[in-house]
Amino acid sequence: MHKWLGYIPLSLGTLCVLGCFPVLAAVTEYHVQLKDHLFFPSRITIPANQKVKLIIENQDNTPEEFDSFSLNREKVIFANQKATIFIGPLQPGEYNFFGEYNPNTARGAVIVERQKLKMPNAH
Amino acid sequence: MLINTVILFLRDALPILVLIAYLYAHLPKSQSWLLISLVASAILSLIYINQIHTIGQWFGGIGIELSLWFSQLLVYLLALVLACGLTFPKWSNRYFVYWVTGIMVSLTIVSKGSNFILYFNGYLNQSNVLQSMLLGTFLGLGICLSLAILLYLAAQWLKQRCGLWATWLLVLIYATGQLVNAIPLLVQIDLINASTTAWNSQHFLSNEFEFGHLFNVLFGYQATPSIAQVVVYVCALTLPLAIFYWLNLASTTHSGNNQ
Repeated sequence: MHKWLGYIPLSLGTLCVLGCFPVLAAVTEYHVQLKDHLFFPSRITIPANQKVKLIIENQDNTPEEFDSFSLNREKVIFANQKATIFIGPLQPGEYNFFGEYNPNTARGAVIVERQKLKMPNAH
Repeated sequence: MLINTVILFLRDALPILVLIAYLYAHLPKSQSWLLISLVASAILSLIYINQIHTIGQWFGGIGIELSLWFSQLLVYLLALVLACGLTFPKWSNRYFVYWVTGIMVSLTIVSKGSNFILYFNGYLNQSNVLQSMLLGTFLGLGICLSLAILLYLAAQWLKQRCGLWATWLLVLIYATGQLVNAIPLLVQIDLINASTTAWNSQHFLSNEFEFGHLFNVLFGYQATPSIAQVVVYVCALTLPLAIFYWLNLASTTHSGNNQ
């Protein structure tokens, strides 16, 4: 009886990964450096309704965790290493982020603007 | 450094202690499973941290996110296996249940606890931080333990009033919350597209505040959840409840007919 019971966890697990897989498309990259527990630049302006790639380079000799409640992002960046995070598409506004291990100094914000931007720090 | 350490404990130790409190209330009295799981978790966490750079390179640099998400998925699936133990006698073997809960605790400790090792390993060698970090550890651990004890007593009370299904429901709500919390990990590595926000309750209760954080641990509260998170949350919570309710109803009817 109920031999199919074992499939329940599997089916629910499959359900959890259901989603639209991203279509391959060019994504604009933004670079941020972390030095002396400070983000440079601390304010990054990105276009609204567009997915972007944030590349954070930790130049300190200690690890840091990039954290943002409003962006729903959390990523450990090891000492002298780079980490990549995709963010967006986002509505216009200001989205704060911080370093979890040094929240007093390592702070910044992603500014999302609607207009077409000239992006000097984009590669 | 003191406040940072306290916050780190609230964020990463609280989910571990809440799960242990629920499972400790749910299981028949035995401390051996907990001790064995804690030892196994400590060893697994050290191995995980030792290999974290290698794991990070897997699948083009998304190994850490995938491993963390997979561990949350396993914890959720094991919570469902616990319900099978309540429904069918052949799944309710005591040692089997201890194994299931032991793995749940170990996976949670490895995924959350590795953050502590990184933090302490990275900052303990700095001068003048040892005292504040130790003080922060005691404070953070004290707050988390107090909350866990309160939750354990509440779970015990529920178990006496409503039976084992009540404590299992607490475990399921917790595991569903953690599973939903792990979805942004897949979004940030661009594995799934799920950034559309369902609602924004930041001004009402932000996840930065203590209660926002506590609710996040207890039932996965998010101030700005994505639509995908809401859909997964509702399905992951209601489907098992409906299925196990129906199975219990069916087995009760079946045993009634046999008599």
